[in-house]
Amino acid sequence: MNLRPLKFAALTVLISAFPLASAEPAPELSGEVNGVLKGAVDSVLAIAYDSAGAATPLSQRVRPVLEKYFNFETITRKAIGPGWQQFTPEQQACTVTLFTEVVIRNYADRFEAGDRPGISYAAEVVPDPKRPHVRDLPTSIDYAGKKYSVVYRMEKSAENWRIVDVKIEGVSMIANWRSQFNPLFLHGGAPEVIATLKQNLSNSAAK
Amino acid sequence: MKQSRLELIVGAFVLLGLAAVAYLAVRIGAGSLVGGETYELKARFTNSGGLNPGSNVIVAGVTIGRVHAIELNPKDFSSIVTFSVRKAFQLPADSIASIKTTGLIGDKFLALAPGGDGEFLAPGSLITDTESTVDLESLISRFAFGSTNAKPKPTETK
Repeated sequence: MNLRPLKFAALTVLISAFPLASAEPAPELSGEVNGVLKGAVDSVLAIAYDSAGAATPLSQRVRPVLEKYFNFETITRKAIGPGWQQFTPEQQACTVTLFTEVVIRNYADRFEAGDRPGISYAAEVVPDPKRPHVRDLPTSIDYAGKKYSVVYRMEKSAENWRIVDVKIEGVSMIANWRSQFNPLFLHGGAPEVIATLKQNLSNSAAK
Repeated sequence: MKQSRLELIVGAFVLLGLAAVAYLAVRIGAGSLVGGETYELKARFTNSGGLNPGSNVIVAGVTIGRVHAIELNPKDFSSIVTFSVRKAFQLPADSIASIKTTGLIGDKFLALAPGGDGEFLAPGSLITDTESTVDLESLISRFAFGSTNAKPKPTETK
């Protein structure tokens, strides 16, 4: 399964450094969501660059932080696409668990601490005024001499703002996953999706 | 008397034909001959370059609607694309709208990827899960020629 864009996005979250500059939020916005994103980035960085904990795999160390700031239930539902409603509740729970594991393990374990990139946080945007619980947080990541546009989509659920999608240079990771999972579902239904995720995990464990 | 009546009928027939041609021209020009009743949706993009009124709206390679209008939102300078979709197709609320190209240099179209939400987009809804036009030229030039703030590669130390 080609999940290269996710790899890069995970790295941007994992290795994002201190903001180079913070734009003033729009007058009607409190900047609360930007604060949550910066908190997520700082928390992950603190763990990723903590050499004292290097004995434990990074995926295990960052898991609690990622689960706190990423809404993996929503991400999984969106990634699976139209087939999600045909999953049984057990299959849905199993898929969320497996997909969360795939995302965290595949990308956290490949992290290599290098130069800390800089991040510019722009003002958060409310893409649809009718849904103020959804925000886009545009950032510019300066890494290895190149700048990348990364937009984090965050949603408020249960009083917490959490990341539900990341767009890198305009390419949505949810759309990328959906384009891969949907054919799997159409071919073999939920069992094939689950089997593919298990296969992905076993491949990553074997490496 | 008989001849003038015949001429009147022929004239009415010709007029009817012209009206039909004009109607079809307008409908085809507006791209509203997809068939059946439609409802309107909107999608918000940061860049809708290349998409035009009349462009196809496609799900899984099947045309289900047309783009009607593309406007600039003066508040945040985003692009709001208004399009119609056949009523037979109810799209989940978390559907993703992407601007794609037919082949490498073909026309742009609006591709919809239905999501897994149990709720559906109501007529007039705004889709904010979108992928804008990928600016291939700037991407290629950035990776081919580097960026203006490129740092020198650090020398390896052992």
